Amino acid sequence: MKKIHIIAIIMIAVAIGLLTTAAEDMSTYATFTQAAKSGEKVKIAGQLSKDKEMIYNPEVDPNYFSFFIKDGEGNENKVVLLAEKPQDFELSEQIVLTGSMKGDEFIATDMLMKCPSKYKDEEVYIKSKREG
Amino acid sequence: MEEIQYIGEHLLPSYIGQFAVLFGFSMALLSAIAYFFATNRRDTPEAAGWQRIGRTAFLLHGLAFFSVIGLIFFVMTQQYYEYQYVQAHVSDDLPFKYIFSAFWEGQEGSFLLWMFWHIVLGVVLMLTAKKWEAPVLSTLSLIQVALASMLLGVYLGWGPDQLKIGSNPLLLLREVMDAPIFSNADYVGLIKGTGLNPLLQNYWMTIHPPTLFLGFASTAIPFCFAIAGLWTREHKAWLKPALPWALFSGTILGTGVLMGGAWAYEALSFGGYWAWDPVENMSLVPWLILVGGIHTNLIAKSTGYSIRSSYIFYLLTFIFIVYSTYLTRSGILGDTSVHAFTEMGLEAQLILFIAGFMGLSIYLLVSRYKGIPAPPKEEATSSKEFWMFIGSLVLLFSALIITASTSLPVYNKLVQLFDPTFEGRVITEPIPHYNKYQLWIGVFIGLLSGFSQYLRYKEINFDKRAKYFITHLTIAVAVAAALTGLASLWLNIYAWQYWLLLFAALFTVVANLDFILTFLKGNLKLAASAFAHIGFGVMIVGIIASGLNKRIISQNTFIMEGLIQDAEDESMKENILLFKNSPTMMQGYEVTYVRDTMDQHFTRAFQINYKQRDEAGNITQEFDLYPNILYDKSFTKVAAANPSTKRYLNKDIFTHIASLPQVEIDMDYRKQREDSLNYRSFGFGIGETIEFPDTIKNEQRNSVSIKKYRVKLLQLLHHPQHPDYEPEPGDYAIGARLQLQHTDEDSTFIVEPVVLLRGQFLYHYPVQINDLSTKIRINSSFLDQVFPLDKDLHFQEFLLKQGETFNYKGYSIHFTGFNRTPNHTSYKQEEGDIAVSAVLEVKGNDGQTYRAEPLYLIRDSRPLNVKDVIEELGLHFRFEQLDPVAETLRITVADNGNESFKLPVEIATNSLRSDYVVLKAIEFPGINYFWIGSLMMMLGLGMGMVFRIRQNQASRV
Repeated sequence: MKKIHIIAIIMIAVAIGLLTTAAEDMSTYATFTQAAKSGEKVKIAGQLSKDKEMIYNPEVDPNYFSFFIKDGEGNENKVVLLAEKPQDFELSEQIVLTGSMKGDEFIATDMLMKCPSKYKDEEVYIKSKREG
Repeated sequence: MEEIQYIGEHLLPSYIGQFAVLFGFSMALLSAIAYFFATNRRDTPEAAGWQRIGRTAFLLHGLAFFSVIGLIFFVMTQQYYEYQYVQAHVSDDLPFKYIFSAFWEGQEGSFLLWMFWHIVLGVVLMLTAKKWEAPVLSTLSLIQVALASMLLGVYLGWGPDQLKIGSNPLLLLREVMDAPIFSNADYVGLIKGTGLNPLLQNYWMTIHPPTLFLGFASTAIPFCFAIAGLWTREHKAWLKPALPWALFSGTILGTGVLMGGAWAYEALSFGGYWAWDPVENMSLVPWLILVGGIHTNLIAKSTGYSIRSSYIFYLLTFIFIVYSTYLTRSGILGDTSVHAFTEMGLEAQLILFIAGFMGLSIYLLVSRYKGIPAPPKEEATSSKEFWMFIGSLVLLFSALIITASTSLPVYNKLVQLFDPTFEGRVITEPIPHYNKYQLWIGVFIGLLSGFSQYLRYKEINFDKRAKYFITHLTIAVAVAAALTGLASLWLNIYAWQYWLLLFAALFTVVANLDFILTFLKGNLKLAASAFAHIGFGVMIVGIIASGLNKRIISQNTFIMEGLIQDAEDESMKENILLFKNSPTMMQGYEVTYVRDTMDQHFTRAFQINYKQRDEAGNITQEFDLYPNILYDKSFTKVAAANPSTKRYLNKDIFTHIASLPQVEIDMDYRKQREDSLNYRSFGFGIGETIEFPDTIKNEQRNSVSIKKYRVKLLQLLHHPQHPDYEPEPGDYAIGARLQLQHTDEDSTFIVEPVVLLRGQFLYHYPVQINDLSTKIRINSSFLDQVFPLDKDLHFQEFLLKQGETFNYKGYSIHFTGFNRTPNHTSYKQEEGDIAVSAVLEVKGNDGQTYRAEPLYLIRDSRPLNVKDVIEELGLHFRFEQLDPVAETLRITVADNGNESFKLPVEIATNSLRSDYVVLKAIEFPGINYFWIGSLMMMLGLGMGMVFRIRQNQASRV
């Protein structure tokens, strides 16, 4: 066997090892129920409940933004993001949060928002223009 | 449906453009075919003919797509909003300098940019590639066919199952969407452009995409050479011309990726230069493989080993470019990336693109594999080529594991095809996930790129060199270890893995420096590789320093002292509230929000002052940063925030406005808020004090408290000043100086609200006292009291001679004489006017003397007069008549009639504070090592390219 083959085998072995450890870093999107049960850091995807109260009051705490989202199962829960309220938050369609449950609240340290695509915007714009 | 005759559309560019796309597509196909025959029949007389056809077709293809690009620019600069691409990317207020950015903001424009570079590179190859022209350009044309198909915008088939091929950027809006507006024949005048996303309106958007796409395009050239080598079975000859192209591509693609990082760091609010975002990853992966390919190419050229690997690396590089295009443009990344394109319905076409070129590569590799020469004996373990090859494998390995993690959404989708109930998986925390694997890649590359410089190609007698090797290696290890120890004084590294990485990085710096000095004897012409490797080491040092020792300055220090539970969550809190003009200590800096200024381009810049003091309290250093926010075009909302960074040699201080008071972000809210203010009215005489209580809601404790206010009117201001008020002639403005305080607090506030009548419009200039959350304004009814209409006045008549004095309501009025060159604010002199004013001096009750000059004039032989007012006293004077014989004049005088006036003042105590910013500030130590190191790496690649081109030219002569 050539040296290069040995190295190739080592690399493949390492790769398989990595894949198994990498599985630990991955998870499915959790629901609030699952998050409450496990108590661990999870990712939750959901939709903003636009009718519920959103609180961002920087004078009180610039790192406290609370709102409600509905998770994949349709359960609504309060979320506290430990950061500022992002621009255009109200427009978001889909929200992905990283964090864990503390009591009744989901404490999020990271958030990704998906905003409506430009093309939809255009349609709305033109229609409203016509009405007006 | 009846055909509507639309008005005002510009259809010619669309017709020409759609024809040009089709023509350019066909010409690319023709060029690929002609060059194919020119290659396959290269030893026959007809080859030259095919080559001519190929050339002509390629040039015509280029011309066609240059005209498409030109037409798009034309319709964009003309703002023809009936074109969907113009409507989506241009707006009336888009500055011309961003027209290029708007062009490549969309998918179609960026495809065109990519094709543009292929055409340019194709022409360069036509001029320089000699015998490689036909096979290389045949492949390049085939790539152009695939790319052009993305822009065709034609439909195949009928009915609802039409197959759409590509998306043509020169289609009209009404051709791509159905909206009620298009039933209006004159719709063109009704639509407006969406414009360029404000986040993209900066110079990075002008330079980053062209660089990155030149990088993308240039990876096709080594790919085409590899295909050409396999195709013509000239397995050795292609290596030489391919190398400079690969080096060129490595330089440009690397620079493009770095620019993306620099943009994220400097202009966006990401707070870093690299976040392992899928889009970033997939531009890094091809570069890693390409760099691996450059190394195998060098080995193959020098020793004859690794020819097969060179094929595989170059083929993979381009295939990964296409795969990266698929990931970013198909919409599959969905919510895992912050900056992927929106979907355009090109998934199937993109998959075909990958599959086609992968199939071609695999077919050629398999069918030619046996014939590819390889030396019978394996590389010696003591040879340079062996370890360089290992290094290339490590790079490929790195690229593959990054791709594996980034492709998780693809994997999810594949499984869901077979099992729709499968729930997609995501990486919970991407940054640590990638870091923990790539860390080891860094260690290996550092060590390999260091010690392999001490080895030689085709080493047959290592024993002789063993002494040199061991001596230098020992010295390099010792120096690197010492430097690592020194670095511990500067850096705080908490994991042994990072110590190892730091050592590996410093080792390659030392070893390569040693190589330049002792082996090359300072001959920098050959130092390209050493230079690039030193750059790699320096870059890693920068990554460790700025990444591990990044320090959030904008943190409340009390939290750090454990006053609050959940310290881990608290450490995530990166924002701090900064009130205007109240210095706040944070992490050794005294930070003050000094002021903010608005410019005419919707940008509001905040001056943030940083001070550091020594123990005695003397300022040791001080600087200002100007982060800004950008409002949208209608000035109703904040559209984007741009950070500002102070750069030192050894660290950066990054500052960003994370948020503002809601009333400053959203003008609709501001208006709503203003309307909801609970104003209470009071009437003040001069010197009068009024006390009143008010209930205040305490947001923190969700309770109410009662506070007493004491307000005193100090004086009226007849020439008022207010930061927002700019006086104009003819203004009727009045202000008041009031003193306000909480009865249970010492501090008093002096405010000067103003009310103004200009023409027919009333303006309020209220004053906000942020410390009391109080807003105060003058009721406009006061203007009627101060500036009554003449019909409401009761004028009294006096006949006077010069020098005489008379009494009016306790005022003694003295007529001092005439002014024959009168100057009156509401009098404009005309030709033929005879004007004179009477100078009157009035003693007020306050002991001061006031002056009035009512005006008398004769214009077109008609007598007229102009009133003068002493506002302070509320006295009005008219100069009614002049008797030149008796030298008397008739003066009429009136007063406002109400000496006991009350100033109506309105006070709202529920006005929120609006004088603060929410600030994020981060210190990045050693970040310049990252930039310097990565630039050195690019420079090294570029030097290598220049050196190889010269070498190739020399060997040709």
